[in-house]
Amino acid sequence: MGTFDEHPRGALHAYLDRELSLEGSLEVEAHLAACGACRRELETYRALRRLLQSAKAAAPEAESALMKVTRNVRARRRRVYAVGGFGAMAAAALVALMVVPKLNDGVVHEVASVHARALDSGQSVELASSDPAAIGQWLSARLPGAVPPAAGGDGFALRGARVDSLEGRPVATVVYQVRNHLVDVFAWPSAERDMEPRPSVAGRWTVCRWAHRGVAYWMVSDAGTDDLKALATLIKDRRT
Amino acid sequence: MDDESREFERFARPHAAAALRLARTLVRNEADAQDVLQDSFLRAFRHFRGFSGESPRAWLLSIVRNVSFTLWRKRERDDPGELEPMLESEPDPAPSPEAQLLEASDAQHVHAALDRLPHLHREVLVLREMEECSYREIAEILGVPIGTVMSRLSRARGQLVRELVGDPRSKN
Repeated sequence: MGTFDEHPRGALHAYLDRELSLEGSLEVEAHLAACGACRRELETYRALRRLLQSAKAAAPEAESALMKVTRNVRARRRRVYAVGGFGAMAAAALVALMVVPKLNDGVVHEVASVHARALDSGQSVELASSDPAAIGQWLSARLPGAVPPAAGGDGFALRGARVDSLEGRPVATVVYQVRNHLVDVFAWPSAERDMEPRPSVAGRWTVCRWAHRGVAYWMVSDAGTDDLKALATLIKDRRT
Repeated sequence: MDDESREFERFARPHAAAALRLARTLVRNEADAQDVLQDSFLRAFRHFRGFSGESPRAWLLSIVRNVSFTLWRKRERDDPGELEPMLESEPDPAPSPEAQLLEASDAQHVHAALDRLPHLHREVLVLREMEECSYREIAEILGVPIGTVMSRLSRARGQLVRELVGDPRSKN
């Protein structure tokens, strides 16, 4: 008989899980030899284990999620490193705040590639909605302090939202449609001074960086510069 | 510069599926689980160079757990019951052996029964029986002593057996 005066409750589980020392295992085995109730209990837990293992689901999509994250990181890093060799990710946010004007070329590329990727993936929005309140709620559940979107109007339809990564930080992306063009509007709270929207054309995309009342914006679309200006005006009006 | 993200892929890839399964165990809704997973990878990427422990898996899964709980706190009002700490009551008497009945259960049953357990029981079972984590890894993931892992597993198994096949000794 082993050293257990009573049934080896926790030790039985540790035995099942092969977590006991040799000595501990021998003690449990000595008890098991003498105790039918514990033998049956152990058998029950072994059956439970087989059952749980058979219920284990494959999760191949987890790898795609990992690849998506690292791809985004690489897209962002290429730019940050090209600028000044800032190594740490933590520096990225700082870089974005302090040297945005110098980074603009790189950021333009990033903005454009985020937009292009969203279009290519066929998932231009993660949340499809034309309701600014619903979008605002969805965004703030993911990004504390997310900027609520402006309602559509003046030919711009609100289509929905995504969360993207831009300049090393997560940003709320609100998607509008004007005629047959989608416009991504990236927005995040910022202490920078107001900046007028002056859209420019970069390759096949029109992009525009501006700031208004504590919110910084990037917009990107294959719509024209006038469209982006009009949308910026709409957003400003709706936010005042 | 790309090396770091490639290195992170090698670091995290073997544990990606486990991370998603744990996320699903903890948040129960697929969209949330995907969000938790992505957020966890991002956080892990920011810090994995500083990781010096023994088990990358335990480290990654502990991040998944923290991210899940952060999400809960945001939703606290929607689902207050989920956040109540589980009562660490005395273990019930050993369940009657029901191995044969368990053999007859299917995956759907198991997941439904798991869902009825408190999250502290759910996660410890998933980590041990599906991911085959050691007690030490589980202790690291949950941030509790190894003795707690053992007692929690003991209760969780007992409770899951009762959920699946009932306890013949119970009064109801």
